[in-house]
Amino acid sequence: MKKEVEIKHLPMEEKKRLVAEGKMHWFFPGHVVEQTIICIVVFLILITLATVFPPALDEMADPFTTPEHIKPEWYFLAAYQELKIAEKLMFIGAWAPKIIGIGMQGVAVGFLFAIPFLDPNPARQYAKRKIALALGVMAVLGFIGLTVWGHLS
Amino acid sequence: MDELKLGPITLRNRLVLKGFEILDRRFEIKEILDEEVFTKLAPTHLGIFSCFGGITFFIFLMQIMTGLLLMIYYVPDTQSAHKSVVAITNDIPFGWAVRGLHFWGANLMVLTVMIHMGKIYFGGIYKAPREMNWVTGVALFLLTMGFSFTGYLLPWTQLSYWATVIATEAPGAMPVVGPLTKSLMLGGPDVSQVTLSRFFTLHVMVLPAATFGLLIAHFLQIRRQGISGPM
Repeated sequence: MKKEVEIKHLPMEEKKRLVAEGKMHWFFPGHVVEQTIICIVVFLILITLATVFPPALDEMADPFTTPEHIKPEWYFLAAYQELKIAEKLMFIGAWAPKIIGIGMQGVAVGFLFAIPFLDPNPARQYAKRKIALALGVMAVLGFIGLTVWGHLS
Repeated sequence: MDELKLGPITLRNRLVLKGFEILDRRFEIKEILDEEVFTKLAPTHLGIFSCFGGITFFIFLMQIMTGLLLMIYYVPDTQSAHKSVVAITNDIPFGWAVRGLHFWGANLMVLTVMIHMGKIYFGGIYKAPREMNWVTGVALFLLTMGFSFTGYLLPWTQLSYWATVIATEAPGAMPVVGPLTKSLMLGGPDVSQVTLSRFFTLHVMVLPAATFGLLIAHFLQIRRQGISGPM
């Protein structure tokens, strides 16, 4: 696979040959038309959702009345459930639930940032990166599991 | 000028040629169009999962547009915020549609960011030389979550108010930095008008500016390094 800058400076004849052989296509119009179609489909999905499932509007906030059940939106449920699990660590000390609960989320974000530097394996084929794939599947299942748990509890 | 050759394309439409001449005389656009658009090649091996970064960007642009329209009628004041959202939903022409698009765009954007990250992770695309693009990507993911968190409070409903109360209690319980973090977020001991103003400012000014900056870095890297090849 050639580098992008090398592809950029290929002679025109070579580029035309690559397109004719179907190995690449022109950014314009090929790629641009493709992307435009995808954008239109996404817009149609959004406008359908907005029409068929309009967002609910709860009553106005009242700082003096705490509602019975409050749960965060689905994308914060996993973090919320993790904090609730950390409350079980009370036996270590009163400090433990919050510090470990929030600390773990900080560590998770730190790990997320550091992934390219923690993974020394240059290979991209699935067969050659079993550990990375296993960790990734565990992370995804963990996130989905915590989300569902948070939703049900 | 009778015809214009741009990469493999030849243009003969006189109106297009005239417009091109007007711009080219001032900005020398032929070179830019030739190099960056018309002789640029794109890969053909891409599947649907490779599109989620672009889809996320499209939804982000939609959020900017619908957000601007909502901002015209929304009032960031604890006494009026809820009323203004009710008015947007019930009285303003197509307000329900704009709010619906913004709501679903927000939810879908979180989902498409996650799918995009999954594709990059499981495809091993974060590896050298693209390490820094993973880092800017994770920062953009956190900004997306920041948009969701701050935007959720703005309608000033029971749910959004109390969700914010609970969500800001957790960092407030941290040792040493906790109380400071909490009072920075809330602007006082409780969720109040100050909090609403802060979240509004973050949501419509600070986060969009940071997102645009990081997106430029994110896209320039892709432009320079190209889309990663097949495995």
